[in-house]
Amino acid sequence: MTKPGYILVKLVEVAVIFFIILTALFFLFRLSPGDPMSKMVDPMLTPEDMAHLIEQMGLDRPLWEQYLIYVKNFLTGSFGFSFHYGEPVSHIIVDKLKWTILLFTTSTVLAAFAGIFLGKIAAWHKGSHLDNVMSISALVCYTLFIPWFALLLLWILGFKLGLFPLGGVLSPQLWVGNASLLVRILDVLHHLMLPLMTLFIINLGSYLLLMRSSMLSVLREDYIITARAKGLSEKVIRNKHAAQNAALPVITSVGLSLAFSINGGALTEQIFTWPGIGKELIFAVSNNDYPLAQACFLLIALVVLVANLIVDLLYAWLDPRITY
Amino acid sequence: MLNKYSLQRFYKGWQIFIENPLGKTGVIILVVFMFMAIASFFVPLIGPMYDPMTGIDPDIRVSTGPSLTHWLGTDNVGRDLFAQLLEGAKVAFIVGLSAAFISIVIGTLVGMVAGYTGGLLDAFLMRTADIIMVLPSLVILLILASLFGQFNIWIIVFIIAIMRWPAVSRVIRSQTLSLKHRPFIEASRVAGASHLRIIFRHIMPNVLPLAFLYMTFRVTAAILVEAALSFLGFGDPSQVSWGMMLQWVWKSGHMFQAPYWLIPPGMCISLLTLAFYLLGRAMDEVLDPRLRKEGQA
Repeated sequence: MTKPGYILVKLVEVAVIFFIILTALFFLFRLSPGDPMSKMVDPMLTPEDMAHLIEQMGLDRPLWEQYLIYVKNFLTGSFGFSFHYGEPVSHIIVDKLKWTILLFTTSTVLAAFAGIFLGKIAAWHKGSHLDNVMSISALVCYTLFIPWFALLLLWILGFKLGLFPLGGVLSPQLWVGNASLLVRILDVLHHLMLPLMTLFIINLGSYLLLMRSSMLSVLREDYIITARAKGLSEKVIRNKHAAQNAALPVITSVGLSLAFSINGGALTEQIFTWPGIGKELIFAVSNNDYPLAQACFLLIALVVLVANLIVDLLYAWLDPRITY
Repeated sequence: MLNKYSLQRFYKGWQIFIENPLGKTGVIILVVFMFMAIASFFVPLIGPMYDPMTGIDPDIRVSTGPSLTHWLGTDNVGRDLFAQLLEGAKVAFIVGLSAAFISIVIGTLVGMVAGYTGGLLDAFLMRTADIIMVLPSLVILLILASLFGQFNIWIIVFIIAIMRWPAVSRVIRSQTLSLKHRPFIEASRVAGASHLRIIFRHIMPNVLPLAFLYMTFRVTAAILVEAALSFLGFGDPSQVSWGMMLQWVWKSGHMFQAPYWLIPPGMCISLLTLAFYLLGRAMDEVLDPRLRKEGQA
C-alpha cells in the first residue's frame, strides 16, 4: 500500500470507530433510567427556552430522527447548554481545554525526555548500584496511587512548607489588577508546579522502565557488536546506535498509555482544582450536568483516537522497516 | 490431571520464582495483606465499636490520632481507622481478583475463538478489542455512573472486567495462532474432533498458563480503578474501601490535619499494586527463560 493510501485507511478507521462511540453514547442516554428530555434540557429553564431547546435537539421527534439531529449537532459543534453554567457547552469546553493541554503536554514531554535519558543510563550500567537505585525508584513511582501521591505533595509542599498554591490556576488579585504579562505567566507556572510534578513523577517511572528494557534488548542486537567491532566509541554506540532505536517503543507507548494518563490526569486536575477537561467531567458527573458530561466524554474519546492515529503514523515514519 | 511430571515442573517453577528477589518481595507483601484481609473478619467480633462501617466510639466525636483503643486513630465520626484499613484489604482482594478473573475468562475465550476461526469473526473481535483497549476505563465508569446512578461493588467489578479483557485476548489469540497448525491439533482434527473440543480440550490447556500470568497484571489495574472511582465519590457507598477512606479524609477536610488518616490507605493501595506488579514480573521470568538469563548475566 502506498503512503497516502495507508494514511487514508487509518483515517477512515478512526472515523468509523468514533462514529460507533458516538452512537453507543446516544443509546446509553436513552437506555438509562429517567426521561432523556430531563437529561438534555435544563429543568430550571423557562418554558419558552425549553421549547426552543427541545425543538433544536428534536427531542419530540421519533428516535431515528433524534439520532440524525444528534449526529448533525455533533458535526456542527453544538452540544446543547450546560445546566450549571447556562452557556453553550462548546464555549466551556474550549475554555477548559487550554489548561488541560498545558498540563498534559508539559508533563508528558518532560517525563518522556527524562525517562528516555535516565533509562538509557540505567540500561548502560546494568546491574550497578546506579541502575538498581534508578529501577527501584522508577518502579515505586510507577505503582504510586496517583490521588494519594497528589494529596501528599499538596499536604507537604503546599500546606506544610507553603511553597506552592493549594489549587487553581491563577491568583485572582493579579488578574483583576493590571499586573504585567510576565508576572501573570509566572503566576500560572507557580500554580502549575504541583500538578505537573505529580504527573511528571508518575509518568517518569513508566517511561524509565520501558526505555531500560527496550535499550537492554537493543544492546543484544548484532549491529551493536558490529559497531563495537568497527571501533566506534562507546558514547557513539550508546547514544546513536542503541538509544535512538530503543526510544521507538517508548514513543509509541505515549499513545498507547494515553488511556492510563487520562485517568491520572483527571484525578490530578480534580485534586489541584486545575480547571481542565478532566475536572470538568467529574464536576458534570457529580452535578448531573448531562450535556457537559457528554461533550467532555466525546472530546476525550476523540483525543484518544487521534493520538493513537498519530502514533501509528509517527511510528511508520520513524521506523523505516515498517512498510505500508 | 496432576501427574508426577507436572508437579515437578511446578516445583521447579516455584523455586525459580521464589529465588527471584522481585518475586520474593512481592510474595511477602502479598502475604501481609492476606493476613490483614483475614483479620478483617475477626475485628468486628471484638465489639460493635470496631465495625468498619457502622461502629462508632461513643466517647469520640472528632477525628483523633492513634491510641491504645484505636491503633490508627478514628475518623471524624469516631469509626476505627485500623478496622477500616483491614476491611479495605479484603475489598481490594475481592475486587482485584474477581475483576481479573472475569476479564481473563472473557479474554481467553475471545482470544481462542478469534485465533482459531480467523477470517471476519477474528477481524471483528480484534477491532472491538482495539476500541475498548484505548478507552480510559475511569472516564467510562464516570459517564456510566452519571447516567445510571451509584453502582454497587459487583457492577463496578463487572464493568472493570469488561474494560480489561482486550489485552489478554490479543496475547491468547497469537498463542492460539501458533498452536493452530501444530501436529497434535491437526491430528485431532483428522480424528474427527469438533471445533469446540479442539478449542477447549487441546488449545485451552496450552494457553491457560499465559492467561494466569496476565491475570496478575489485571488485578493491579482493577484495584486502581476501583480505588480511583471510590476516591472521586462514585464508589459503592455501603462498602468501606481504601479509595473510600481517602475520599472521606479529603471531603471532610481532614487531609492537612490527620496524617494518620491520610497516609495508611494510599500506602496500602500503592504497596498492593507494587506486590502484584512484582509477582507478574517474576512469573514472566519463570515462563520465559530468555528473561531469566538476562537477569543472571
